[in-house]
Amino acid sequence: MGAYLIRRLLLMLLTLFGMSVLIFVMLRLVPGNITDIIFDSAGFVNPAQKAKIERQLGLDQPIVTQYVRWIAGLARGDLGYAFVSEKPALDEILPRIPVTAKLAVLALVFSVLFGVPLGVISAVRQNTALDYALRVVSLSGLSLPSFWLGLLILMACVQWFGWIPIYRSTPGSFWSELALLSIPAAAVGFRSSALVMRLTRSSMLEVLRQDYIRTARAKGASDPSVNYDHALRNAVLPVVTIIGIEAAFLIGGLIVTETVFNIPGVARFLVEAIRWRDYPIVQNLVMLIAVVVVVVNFVVDMAYVALDPRIKYEE
Amino acid sequence: MSRVTVIDHDVELTRAGANVRGTLGSVLFFARRYPLGAVGALIMLVFVATAVFADAIATFDPLTTNARDSLAPPGGSHTLGADFMGRDMLARIIYGARISLAVGLGATMLGCLAGMIVGLLSGYFGGWLDLTVQRLMDIMQSLPLLVMALVMAASLGPSLTNTIIAIAIPLVPNVARVIRSNTLSLREMPFVEAARAVGMSETRIAIAHVLPNTLAPLIVLATAQFGSAILVESALAFLGLGVPEPHPSWGRMLSESAAEYVRTAPWLVIFPGVAISAVVFGTNLLGDAIRDMLDPRQRF
Amino acid sequence: MRARLALGATLFVLAGVLGGTPALAQKQGGTLRIYHRDNLPSASIHEEATISTVQPFMAVFNNLVLFDQGKKLNTPETIVPDLAESWAWDLTNTKLTFKLRQGVKWHDGRPFTAKDVQCTFNKLTGKDTEDDFRRNPRAVWWQNLKEVAANSDHDVTFILNRPQPSILSMLASGYTPIYPCHVKAQAMRTNPIGTGPFKFVEFKRGDSVKFVRNPDYWKPGKPYLDAIEWKVIESRSTRILAFVAGEFDMTFSADVTVPLLKDVTEQAPKAICDLAPTGVSSNLIINPTVAPFNDAKVRRALALALDRKSMIDILSQGKNALAGVMLPPPEGTWGMPPDALQTLPGYAADVEKSRAEARKIMESLGYGPSKTLKVKVSTRNIAIYRDPAVLLIDQLKSIHIDGELEVIDTSIWHAKVTRKEFSVGLNLTGVGVDDPDVNLYENYSCGSERNLTQYCNKDVDALIAKQSQETDAAKRKGIVWEIEKQLAEDLARPIIYYERSATCRQPHVKGFVLHQNSIYNNWRYEDVWLDK
Repeated sequence: MGAYLIRRLLLMLLTLFGMSVLIFVMLRLVPGNITDIIFDSAGFVNPAQKAKIERQLGLDQPIVTQYVRWIAGLARGDLGYAFVSEKPALDEILPRIPVTAKLAVLALVFSVLFGVPLGVISAVRQNTALDYALRVVSLSGLSLPSFWLGLLILMACVQWFGWIPIYRSTPGSFWSELALLSIPAAAVGFRSSALVMRLTRSSMLEVLRQDYIRTARAKGASDPSVNYDHALRNAVLPVVTIIGIEAAFLIGGLIVTETVFNIPGVARFLVEAIRWRDYPIVQNLVMLIAVVVVVVNFVVDMAYVALDPRIKYEE
Repeated sequence: MSRVTVIDHDVELTRAGANVRGTLGSVLFFARRYPLGAVGALIMLVFVATAVFADAIATFDPLTTNARDSLAPPGGSHTLGADFMGRDMLARIIYGARISLAVGLGATMLGCLAGMIVGLLSGYFGGWLDLTVQRLMDIMQSLPLLVMALVMAASLGPSLTNTIIAIAIPLVPNVARVIRSNTLSLREMPFVEAARAVGMSETRIAIAHVLPNTLAPLIVLATAQFGSAILVESALAFLGLGVPEPHPSWGRMLSESAAEYVRTAPWLVIFPGVAISAVVFGTNLLGDAIRDMLDPRQRF
Repeated sequence: MRARLALGATLFVLAGVLGGTPALAQKQGGTLRIYHRDNLPSASIHEEATISTVQPFMAVFNNLVLFDQGKKLNTPETIVPDLAESWAWDLTNTKLTFKLRQGVKWHDGRPFTAKDVQCTFNKLTGKDTEDDFRRNPRAVWWQNLKEVAANSDHDVTFILNRPQPSILSMLASGYTPIYPCHVKAQAMRTNPIGTGPFKFVEFKRGDSVKFVRNPDYWKPGKPYLDAIEWKVIESRSTRILAFVAGEFDMTFSADVTVPLLKDVTEQAPKAICDLAPTGVSSNLIINPTVAPFNDAKVRRALALALDRKSMIDILSQGKNALAGVMLPPPEGTWGMPPDALQTLPGYAADVEKSRAEARKIMESLGYGPSKTLKVKVSTRNIAIYRDPAVLLIDQLKSIHIDGELEVIDTSIWHAKVTRKEFSVGLNLTGVGVDDPDVNLYENYSCGSERNLTQYCNKDVDALIAKQSQETDAAKRKGIVWEIEKQLAEDLARPIIYYERSATCRQPHVKGFVLHQNSIYNNWRYEDVWLDK
């Protein structure tokens, strides 16, 4: 197990390293850099001034030099200076993380709270009208564009309540902030909850068919206890997988939802930074996302081992 | 108290498809066996027909502007209303089917083709190729689909082909993964051994014997990716990075400029969203049924 | 008795003079809440050319002189003292001496002196090589400024190469604040220090910008507000909804477009909305160096095919202003009224007749319904650029031109245009001050950086210089109209319209008058108070 862990960690580092090179190169393939953008806002281009700024920002150096400087800085904890705001990139990224994290956690909580019970019900009442109805609902969750859902919710809020959920960075209490965030969290989490529902349903069905349930029934245990005790515990496993897979998808959903609901989080910041060609921000943010995805996958794999002793990693 | 199940063999055989005759028979059999799948297929058919026969169906030209009808509500000459420049919504949705399906289909086929080739080569030939490819796929999978597509779309610039490429590339790792694992198990199968013994070249074995057997999971995957491709296209368009004017794209109809009129003209926001959801819904229904049919182990 | 009466009268007059307007009921206190669109690149007004920077940060500074914040139109007659108490030209009209106010302090406590004026203009004219601006978009405004001499701590003289009456208008613009000597240009981009009514507090990109009252402001009693808070909302529908719901006191400048105005006035009937020109024009840039527009005949056909009125009707329900180069009356002082415009080539009222003529031209060149000319129409990937482009393509169909929209990403737009990699493009131009020197020098003079098509006509340049020196306003206007005719004939940058858009405020916001011929000079906020 120890050897496996070390191998795994090395692979993770390799993956992250590869991602750093990939994003670094992709960004510089993008036509136009920050000087084009800031000159555009001034309405003209002055080649001499442009070249001077590029020199100041180090953009005239060969790509390899720029890359090494960035990675060396990362190792020291120095993420470089944001091009647009001229402040340290870390100071721009860190304050935006909490609200996105809260949104993500709320969305995951929503998806589990909503998805697991409905999935169980759907499995237990398989092939009934209720099951079909729930399957249609879960399928629609996978089919709706999440930003459209967000727009519709916004429209509904304004139309029916005459009120618009605007996020304020200094809200009242913890609970009022939570309440305000729950609306966009529902928009993001709807799709995840659909996936959780489907997965719970199918793994419940698998388990319900298995021998030991029949054995338990033959031993005389009453139906409800058989369903929720034995079955649920084993059905949890794939749900853990889904959380891992969803971590990646959730970030995409957060990007559009933060845009629709005007939340100053890290996901929306990524889109802005790409628009501004703010390399330090985009590079570091993409690395952050990659780290999150890779770490979550790792944690999920380890949780798998912990939850099901039959699984051993022997690659 | 045990319940006794009586097995009627004739009924079971018919149910298993033993009595199916002809194409119509197969279709009806599929429809009866997988009703939801049939609904999905029907939805897809409607949209494909709309896209193909757009010229015949639409009464308005989707690009013609008209000051008088600016922001006209649904009803009257504009069945689904008109947008800010007086362009007919119904016509734009009909022609939008072309764009959205083109992007979805194009990206999915490109991504699945590339993924299949990569996965097949990697799984079949193994060794250094496999290791390198696996790491590359790992790297590409460490970013969510939308983020990858976002960076690619920003770097390639706004155009129809670029959008297809930007969505196709992030789809490759998933496909490659599945095809690779399938290839790995197929590689050890007896019929492959037999072919080798007969003296068939590795390439021929790969293409003629292993490939056809990976098609089933590929089709299942492709239907799932198709839905994702359409959703990502609409998200890119919403963020301003998708298919540019004047192609009427559903995603762009929902973008910022339409969102301005969320209260004055809600039909601008509702109908394109319904169209996107319907297509993806149909794909998912169909995909579920196909998966049930081809590969029951992946039951969802 | 008479003494007391006289004293009372004097005090009353003094109060009127000092207070500006006769309204004596201003309430102190309160925070003004405004929303921001956020394309805000930096906080340094001198380095930017966008309303996104000017509107929030103008409150931090003072100018030498300013357009009266209480009058609707910016004209030379409405220029009032700011940091300069008085000014006078010398006999040659090339030396303008300002007497500066005493006892004014920067926000960090240092005293304001004539040296600060000198430093600011050294940076603007490129004389400061140690700490210059990263970008200097209005360098062309000061090309006639030889030097700024600080005669004493409170006395400066602007020395020009030749007479230029417009120099005062340029000094009165929101784009010409006075910067401190002792703060570096880089700091002014992130933490600006000024002498103005409000102090900069913080700028959280994508979230908010905050300003607080300057208690040591040199105008006693002002500002009335305690603070100004800007909240960044990128989606127009969200922010207008928020305004209607009462979350904000004012909208961003010109944010309520004509199509949305009706909705806002219905949903918020008590709000005060002013529809006014913004000084931004939508125009065409034509590349005369490559086919097809290197052929003067094709250019003429294009000009004849334009149906400006139809575009104005569709995009703004008829409210945008039909215009030539200068903003037209009633708001503009220099522009041509509709009847004069019609004499310009391409502005004829009978569009069908013009189009018929254009079709004849195209047919004589071999084009017809079956053989159309394929042209790329380039523009930026933003709705306000795209929409007119789409309409243009529609209109070109009528003269056998098959236009294809080419959407160019913002980051490479200017590079492409500078390299002349376009045939015809749709462009937006913002003019800081309704003044011929500003507009003509920036956009049409040979070698100007903002002259996108690098249009260069020596005769026009001579005319521009001639009107710049002309002190008689009526004569000057005549020369400007001559320039208009020439620019229209050359198709230098055909203006499609000057846009009109609305700025709204809640009824409790008092003391604010919206400028009607420019959006860039309006935002000192020192007279604004909240009646709550």
